[in-house]
Amino acid sequence: MSADRYDAFPDHDPHSHAIHQPGKRLMHHVPLRFVWNKVAGGGGHSVNASLNLTAYIDFLLVTVIFLLQTFSASGEVAVDKNVSLPKAENAEDVIDAPMVAVNGNQVLVDGQLAGSTRAIEEVGRMQKVDELFNILKAKRELWKQVQPDKDFPGVVILQIDEEVPAIVVKSVFQTAAYAGYPNVSFMVQKIGGGSKPAGGE
Amino acid sequence: MGGVDVESGGKKRSMNSEINMIPFIDLLMVTVAFLLITAVWVNNSRINANAQVPGPPDPTQEVTPQTPEKVLNLHLGADEFTITWKQGATVVSEVKVPKPSDPGNPVRYPDLAKKLGEEWKQHGGHRDPSDKKVDQAILQVDNRTPYKEIVAVLDALYATKRELVLPSGAKDEVPVFNMTFSVR
Repeated sequence: MSADRYDAFPDHDPHSHAIHQPGKRLMHHVPLRFVWNKVAGGGGHSVNASLNLTAYIDFLLVTVIFLLQTFSASGEVAVDKNVSLPKAENAEDVIDAPMVAVNGNQVLVDGQLAGSTRAIEEVGRMQKVDELFNILKAKRELWKQVQPDKDFPGVVILQIDEEVPAIVVKSVFQTAAYAGYPNVSFMVQKIGGGSKPAGGE
Repeated sequence: MGGVDVESGGKKRSMNSEINMIPFIDLLMVTVAFLLITAVWVNNSRINANAQVPGPPDPTQEVTPQTPEKVLNLHLGADEFTITWKQGATVVSEVKVPKPSDPGNPVRYPDLAKKLGEEWKQHGGHRDPSDKKVDQAILQVDNRTPYKEIVAVLDALYATKRELVLPSGAKDEVPVFNMTFSVR
């Protein structure tokens, strides 16, 4: 096999170096000078075009400023996935407080099991939920140990499923009050205001 | 691409130079992505209530009899709401509001909200903007009433608002009632 056969196509030569001198490569295998001139920008108009990025940068800046204004460092308020919250119009912003979730089966405090909804319903009268009481009391004592020079706010937020009967609501409400949380808030989905990013909490 | 002309208008030598905007755009894109990912799109709110848990009497203090405040008692019946103003054990007034046959979804009681506003204007005890206290409303509900109906009544109860002057001098709108449950 003669080496001459690779003269026309040096890239196909298995013995040639894989690394070549840098330079223009686009359509260099087309053996026409006017094509080389065209792709190199030598003949007529250049194929290079500059984009005006000013409007794009303006848009990005406005987006960044809007998102920074609505940014919340406090994080998401966790809602139990089994709880369907009722809707209300005259409601306030949520604050940072212990969350008691009440669904059709369980009572949970910040995700920790604190009682059975079914058991309260079966008793049929208002009662103190002992597990809930103990957990809330422990949380209150811990808060006082961590912040001894501050007044305890006594706020608890109840996330209650909209179909839960009033007997459960009243039992949980009263248990929270006995555990030292007299300011009880009911979490609802706000209607009329629409969705908004949780900023400034 | 991505250049910014900063020509200064000199005569002899052109002062044109290009600032590379690509890193700036990259930074903006990363910031936008981070803020969009960490944004929390919620519409959760809360309705306040207050549990009146009386403590034991203080034996060192002499108990002076005081005129009890007017308290609104709101009873959720099967067919109607009963709005009762009580001063101690004395009934000051009693009004009934029929329950709508179809309260809708979500449950709303606009007639009740309107009537509660009228009643507060007539009997409410804390109307001064400098008064930090609000009138107490006691809710009496049947044990089987679904929670969504309780929230609808609370929504109606908190629909009427009044002006409150804050310690800083700023004014705010607050609900005229604070709710608690009736305990038997």
